[in-house]
Amino acid sequence: MTREEIIAAINSTFIEQFEISEDKLTPDKQIFNDLGLDSLDIVDLMVGLQRRFGISLRENEEIRKVVTLGDVYEFFVRLEAKRNKPKT
Amino acid sequence: MEKRRVVITGSGLTSSLGLDVGIFYDRLEAGNSAVRLMDGWSDKLKINRIAAPVVLPEGLEKTIPRAFRRSMGRMSIYSALAAEKALLSSGLTREYTASGRCACVIGSTMGSGESIMEASRIVILNDSENMPALQFFKCASHSAAFNTANFLGLTGCVLAPAAACASGLQAIGLGRDLIQSGAQDAAICGGAEEVTPEVTASFELMFAAARGFSGPPEYSSRPFAADRVGLVCGEGAGLVVLEEYEHAVRRGANIYGEIIGYATCGCGSHVSQSNHSSIVRCMDSAFRDAAIAPAQTDYINAHATATLHGDAEEAMAIREFFGSETPVSSLKGHIGHTLGASGAIELIASLEMMRRDRLLPTLNLEHVADDCAGLDHVRSVREQKISIFVKNCFAFGGINATLICRRV
Repeated sequence: MTREEIIAAINSTFIEQFEISEDKLTPDKQIFNDLGLDSLDIVDLMVGLQRRFGISLRENEEIRKVVTLGDVYEFFVRLEAKRNKPKT
Repeated sequence: MEKRRVVITGSGLTSSLGLDVGIFYDRLEAGNSAVRLMDGWSDKLKINRIAAPVVLPEGLEKTIPRAFRRSMGRMSIYSALAAEKALLSSGLTREYTASGRCACVIGSTMGSGESIMEASRIVILNDSENMPALQFFKCASHSAAFNTANFLGLTGCVLAPAAACASGLQAIGLGRDLIQSGAQDAAICGGAEEVTPEVTASFELMFAAARGFSGPPEYSSRPFAADRVGLVCGEGAGLVVLEEYEHAVRRGANIYGEIIGYATCGCGSHVSQSNHSSIVRCMDSAFRDAAIAPAQTDYINAHATATLHGDAEEAMAIREFFGSETPVSSLKGHIGHTLGASGAIELIASLEMMRRDRLLPTLNLEHVADDCAGLDHVRSVREQKISIFVKNCFAFGGINATLICRRV
């Protein structure tokens, strides 16, 4: 997946699951304070992202540290880079 | 100490015959039945695929903000929509529901059946990691009560009696008690239920659901009839606003009726079948509570779900307690059996009958069964003043409930 495709997939999750309009989805937005999610929503966000990216996030420490939407983008961009890293 | 009087000052419903009390009543009076073939239920199911479903206009449920809707199964959505209308019709505000003096008492048979099945499937497929965080809140037995209370910003007492088909009427009785005792000044009370193939299948297993009727679905729910074949499941929510009488008068509220008597009891013997003697005992307790005589009753809105045993027991109890001259009808032919919501939805219909001075008949009652005979069955719309009416509900678990209302 390209960076743009990753961002589009994450944005789709926010739009479909949390009914947030696309124009509000900018990297600087804080997930709790600006986008209005709470701790229960975060569980559902992880479920949605798990399904979309086909990975398990429950035990992932890094995803728990995200604050902004940009942090979510970067988490999955890094993850995709690791997946695509040629095996030596 | 003199008991505080409790009156009904608002009502709202989400029903298979409409989302507005006036439209709902008009369709009842027109003899409409909401029972239909459930196209959405798999034809692989070995059940009679009929029910009386609620059809919401597209987008209506999204008028409930997502923050509240996310924990709601279908029954809670029905309840929240009905509650909003009930509150509006009462003239009470959301500031008042936040005062701590207003209760929310909403009963149902169980939590959202659809959500419980969904959760079970996720677990059985060993996919728990993908269980939505809010799933439990849809499944909990008090789901409709707490979801509705939060949606209204209600901070008073929140209760959820679960007594199967008597849940809604027990909720209203409990609300009456809370106000009568002085614990609360108002209460939003009633029942909510959603229909699923699993519930219909459960009734079929016990030979309680309609099966073997060869006519169109809308004729299949036949309370008191000689050719009745069992109940048809329905769904929806009915909520009334109860209020302490002086409180209602002070603010100039419309008063739809006064709850003057209520009782609930167990039959003490059978898990699924109540008996006429315990039904008589329940009605007798309610009339003692009201301190009036049975002969003062103008109309009985029966529980009568069209089961072979239940209708006969109720008919026998009514004959014994009231005699043969008090008009009786059941609304299950129109809207099926809405289980935990039935007491509240049918109470709202009865209040509307009282307001309009008209008695609605039992639908699909061409020939009264011998074991249901000896009553004044209402067979067509009847012009009649109602000053006092009775609402009955009987439930699995052998639980009975009777509520008596008076015109104010």
